[in-house]
Amino acid sequence: MSRRPGKQEGTQCRMFDTSKVGQSFPPFTIEVARCKVHELALAIGDTNPIYHSREAAQEAGYPDVPLFPTSPTTFAFWGNTNMGKHLVDMGLNVMRILHGEEEYEYLAPIYPGDVLTGVVTVAEGKSRQGRDGSSLDIVTLETLYTNQEGQEVLKARQTIVVRE
Amino acid sequence: MSRTMLPAKIYFEDVQVGDEIPKLVTAPVTHLQLVRYAGASGDFNPLHTDPKIGEMIGVGGIIAHGMLIMGFVGQMLSDYVGPQALRKFGVRFKGMTHLNDEITCTGTITEKYEENGEGRIAGKVQAADQNGDVKVTGTFVAALPRRA
Repeated sequence: MSRRPGKQEGTQCRMFDTSKVGQSFPPFTIEVARCKVHELALAIGDTNPIYHSREAAQEAGYPDVPLFPTSPTTFAFWGNTNMGKHLVDMGLNVMRILHGEEEYEYLAPIYPGDVLTGVVTVAEGKSRQGRDGSSLDIVTLETLYTNQEGQEVLKARQTIVVRE
Repeated sequence: MSRTMLPAKIYFEDVQVGDEIPKLVTAPVTHLQLVRYAGASGDFNPLHTDPKIGEMIGVGGIIAHGMLIMGFVGQMLSDYVGPQALRKFGVRFKGMTHLNDEITCTGTITEKYEENGEGRIAGKVQAADQNGDVKVTGTFVAALPRRA
């Protein structure tokens, strides 16, 4: 394979390596923690007690504190600490990443204490280069999370945009 | 896959296509909130916490995490159907949110149907600031319990 602009040394111009589409990265694990649900809901401003106390959640009929709808973002940032490196390896300029889309498919309930294994796959990706040397990369990453019993519990899909 | 239906916020029979979801209006976004959100989410991109970076790349100071705005929409949905009812929730980020912006989240029911033996509703959602500038648009699917 020929060298890509993104692999050259001494240049700022990077672009997405389209041969990475379909590739999966090594799995990561994350233990679901009650306090991370509490912190996230607190930062967002949601004072619903079910997110802040196990007792309140149980009083409301839940076995434990349920996930906040966007809790999966904490699995990615806190659990998948190698992702920044993977993005660089794909030829993306991490300083220029914009978040385009985010989607969750909640396949089964997840509770504190569950140990999730996440596998990120490059689902789609394209790179366009302008004559002026500018480039636009659009990459979609899918993360499938499986719990400690081997059950698929969550699918996260994220589209990132890198404009240079 | 069977799931136990947890405490009902709203029943399938009570929702009609075209219904509006009770809106959520947030307090003005503050720098402290973004620092707190960074710690909670694990997204420490300095664009969201360091005013100098935003000035440098010409976006006019600190920009809120897009995921914070998705979180506001998530709170609206959680208030409406409960957190365990959601089956799908996705957004597209349309615009940047600055400090002091007050975000209003709204939504409408677009479909009502059966799937996997569940009564489901689908809807579209949006978050916009005090000037009506749209920050996020999205869709969701939720499974609702039926009245016995």
